[in-house]
Amino acid sequence: MSDTLEKIRKNVIEGRIDSEDEGFEGDMEGEPGVVELVQQALDEGISPSDILNKAVSPGMEEVGQRYENGEYLIPDMLAAAECVSEATEILEPMLLEGDVKTRGKFIIATVEDDLHDIGKNIVSTLLRGSGFEVEDLGVGVKADKIVQAVEEKKASHLGLSALLTTTMGHMEDIINLLKEKGLRDQVKVCVGGAPVSEDFAKKIGADVYGEDAFDAIHKLEKMS
Amino acid sequence: MARGTRIKRNQFLSENECRLIHRGSCRLLSELGVKVESDEAIRILKDGGADVKDGRVTIPQNMVEQAVQQTAKKIELGARNPGNTITIDVDSPAVHFGTGGQALYVLHQTSDGSFTRKPAVTQDLIDIIRLCEQLDNVDFITRPVEPDVSEDEMDMEKTRIFLENTTKHMNLANLVKIEKLPEILTAVKDPSRISFIASLTVSPMNLVSPTIEKFMKMVEHGLPVAISSCPQGGATAPLSEVGELIQVNAEVLSAVVLANLIKSGAKVFCRGIPITSDLFADGSPRWCQPESIRRVAMATDLSYFYGIPCCGTAAVSDEKEPNPQTVAEKTLSWVFEAASGAQYINSALGMLEQVLTVCPEQYIIDDKIINHVRELLTESPDYNIENVAQTAVTDALDMFHVPVTDELQDDLSNRIQFILNGQEEYSAEAVDAQVDLISKAVTSGRSSTKFMKAARSGLRKGWLYQGQRAQGSLDLKEVNDIRNQLLGS
Repeated sequence: MSDTLEKIRKNVIEGRIDSEDEGFEGDMEGEPGVVELVQQALDEGISPSDILNKAVSPGMEEVGQRYENGEYLIPDMLAAAECVSEATEILEPMLLEGDVKTRGKFIIATVEDDLHDIGKNIVSTLLRGSGFEVEDLGVGVKADKIVQAVEEKKASHLGLSALLTTTMGHMEDIINLLKEKGLRDQVKVCVGGAPVSEDFAKKIGADVYGEDAFDAIHKLEKMS
Repeated sequence: MARGTRIKRNQFLSENECRLIHRGSCRLLSELGVKVESDEAIRILKDGGADVKDGRVTIPQNMVEQAVQQTAKKIELGARNPGNTITIDVDSPAVHFGTGGQALYVLHQTSDGSFTRKPAVTQDLIDIIRLCEQLDNVDFITRPVEPDVSEDEMDMEKTRIFLENTTKHMNLANLVKIEKLPEILTAVKDPSRISFIASLTVSPMNLVSPTIEKFMKMVEHGLPVAISSCPQGGATAPLSEVGELIQVNAEVLSAVVLANLIKSGAKVFCRGIPITSDLFADGSPRWCQPESIRRVAMATDLSYFYGIPCCGTAAVSDEKEPNPQTVAEKTLSWVFEAASGAQYINSALGMLEQVLTVCPEQYIIDDKIINHVRELLTESPDYNIENVAQTAVTDALDMFHVPVTDELQDDLSNRIQFILNGQEEYSAEAVDAQVDLISKAVTSGRSSTKFMKAARSGLRKGWLYQGQRAQGSLDLKEVNDIRNQLLGS
């Protein structure tokens, strides 16, 4: 493997997005990160698909293994997933059809009247890292805006987050609105957040309940 | 006899360390600024000398220091029974414990002794207030749950239930509709009998609508309000203790400035709650773990540094049910928060599952242990905090017949050592590095990812406590007898 590809792989594992990133121990600022190294690899004539398949993906796989065996924690996964997401953004327009498979278009939002976003942000970063094209609509998003985004983007997945019992009811409103607009069958609806439960998800007709970010990713990976 | 316990303060932060944090917070406020979601508040801040830069309100240090000087040093919290009146006086401080909320669920004990969780309803609010009216160690009552009526009726219904069921000071916490305030004041008659908590901060560095508008109205009416900010280190603030204190302090101070511009001498409390995020699992808040207990007590040190009344927070257990771990977590939290000298400690009884659940039996358990903590901290003016913490937690477990094994004893000692011994350096360089991190995180637009990434080396250094959970169950026979006696079976 070329030196540059190996450096990309290592920086994905390290979770260093660019040269401003201090890295794991906080002492690597100034050294090229994934963004600069991907550009360097392209300049060296390495194909986008090789960069993705021989450096970026193996790096993320290694991160996944380290997480599985307890060596890595959530922030390490997030850092690596961010790198993958940035690299994909650079490489995607250059890739030939079939070079890369995306898992689908994922719209994600915290529902109306609810401003909590930590869980949602973790899920969206991890989704990007695991190959979904994610559009994060933010917090406190009204039902009609969410459904409009599903329709316009032809989303395959919709993730809804709520941290309050007073707001989780909006999830059902959104599912009902999807049905009204004839969009329910095109999109898998995933729900999560502290007050949400498997029973609640079933009751409102959601497809996936994620107990936490990793549970959600795991279930989605199983479905795809 | 007046309510409150005078306790010799145990300080974590020296005067010089407080000064360093203050310098960092002032740098944040004057250079980065705070995002304010209210045109009226922005106008008031600008008229008072603040500036607007890149959509954020920057507040110069002299404005902060002037507001600190102006803030009320003494607040009378009235009550229907004059014996339940609370005097908060920064020059003559006493510690008071009260309940907290807004919990979404209530845990009910079933006939076989197990617990079942149900959504909170109006009757729960009535029952809990009645129960707390009778518990000696509840000095004031903060709304534990909301009544399950329409939003339009909620504020008045809550006020009515408080008025009918308690003679203690009433902290209504939040109002759903601020327009109801005049009606509430008429019903209450004496405005000193009510106070509020305004959670107007969304970390990092945002003052959000509609809470900011409600806060402004409460201050205009001269009502006591706790300015609450609850960042989670590692997710919405730096994992670093130094960084999180700088940020939470800046967030609270920004509202202190606003309050004093609205009404000089505003009756506000600082309520910084710098807890951490569970970066081992799902990022959920860690309310009652050793690093959070330590940081919350440090927020009291900052209130004392400024001479502003402190609304503390204690004993919001991370556990879902009353159990030995709940007792251990809560007891350590009470010891250190009471010893910090926080004058108006909210959420101190009944709370479980972070802030989601309250439980009638837990109020009784908590009342009993708080009583013992008060005794231990006042027995000798020269108490040793480590010994008090050890004794309190062992005695508390013993009250419910939980055997303290060697393994459990080791973990409790480790928790206490973790709370007592800081791992970070307090220096001008460390402060500047944290101010830079917060500024970068805020301006990047992806602050939680930035904070989580920056948390990685701190995690490896052990900044989040990792220990054992106390196992087993509590003997609740006496608690159940008290509950039956106070509430009926």
